[in-house]
Amino acid sequence: MAREGSTHPDLDPAKYDAAEAVKIICLGDSAVGKSKLMERFLLDEYRPQQMSTYALTLYKHKATVGNKTVAVDFWDTAGQERFQSMHPSYYYKAHACIMVFDIQRKITYKNLSMWYKELREYRPEIPCCVVANKIDADMKATQRSFNFAKKHDLPSYFVSAADGTNVVKMFRDTIRRAVEYKQNPTDFMDEVLQELEVKVYSSNVA
Amino acid sequence: MNFEAKRCGVQFSPPSIVLIYENKSTNKLRKRIIPVRKYSKDSDYRKAAETLKNHPRHRDYLQSVSQSQLERLHIILRDHMQGLSLEQSLASFRLDPEQDLNKLDDDELARKKGKMDELFEKNRKRKDDPDFVYDVEVEFSANNQEKCSWDEESDDGF
Ligand SMILES: Nc1nc2c(ncn2[C@@H]2O[C@H](COP(=O)(O)OP(=O)(O)OP(=O)(O)O)[C@@H](O)[C@H]2O)c(=O)[nH]1
Ligand SMILES: [Mg+2]
Repeated sequence: MAREGSTHPDLDPAKYDAAEAVKIICLGDSAVGKSKLMERFLLDEYRPQQMSTYALTLYKHKATVGNKTVAVDFWDTAGQERFQSMHPSYYYKAHACIMVFDIQRKITYKNLSMWYKELREYRPEIPCCVVANKIDADMKATQRSFNFAKKHDLPSYFVSAADGTNVVKMFRDTIRRAVEYKQNPTDFMDEVLQELEVKVYSSNVA
Repeated sequence: MNFEAKRCGVQFSPPSIVLIYENKSTNKLRKRIIPVRKYSKDSDYRKAAETLKNHPRHRDYLQSVSQSQLERLHIILRDHMQGLSLEQSLASFRLDPEQDLNKLDDDELARKKGKMDELFEKNRKRKDDPDFVYDVEVEFSANNQEKCSWDEESDDGF
């Protein structure tokens, strides 16, 4: 996955080691609105790159946190099941995660537990938030308290990619938390993974 | 010239998009039939819709018709060319809130998203709207929130 020559340069995880670069992943079921949220936040500021073999769209963004400029890569993933084998590359070296569900479809809320479980297998500690999207379709949803976020002690947001409610706030909070996490990481998973890769690599050569 | 689309639909023979629109300067309703040329059962509906939307003779009339609606109409035309009934074709767009969309293939998923786009486009605030605000923040107070019925079954992780 991370070996030289095998990866598209934009997906080379080594670049996320630089102090001023963070990687934020956006997860959730098909059609919950992950891509529409990205587009709403970035407007048409940046042209995304489609990585169809990875079932992923990469958005590059420059943000200001405190007095620093931070290069943010958003990994907008696809919810379809047939891309499940790609998931480990999404999680790898991510600094924060945005988990989205659709307030009109219960199944997308129920599936959060699946997404979250998988996320925590790879990234036990990264900041994560829960996003209830499409509130424009049913404003009453904002009067319901969805327990999932509370139970896992995650910040949650009621948003609409259509009318823009709370989209910018949610992204800015997440970028800030990604940067804070990066300065003070507690996940050791990457190192372990890297070591494994080196081993796999050297045994291939031998 | 300002035209507001009121309704749009398809006609199978010859394959055409039918548009009912209001001419804003005369307040009159008009019908426009736009033949869809060089479109066959193997054509790319996205490209065809885009070409039509930008067509110099039609684009003024289609300004208030979204790209995704034109895509949907092209899918219906193509389904017909492939031998599907109108009923089958329309059923493929229908949204079932219980359905797991993660299991659909690209084409099936595009149909569901196309349907969702109707409401999305209706509620959408666009960057070039005069009253557009980039950062819209609304607090929803946690005080009067009711317990959500989606949380009732107690399964793992919830
Ligand atoms: N009403 C409403 N519809 C929305 C909103 N956000 C997205 N949608 C609709 O939901 C559809 C799916 O949104 P996408 O952004 O493509 O969903 P996604 O999560 O990226 O889906 P995958 O990439 O397939 O996993 C869109 O085509 C819109 O029609 C919203 O805030 N309000
Ligand atoms: Mg998407």
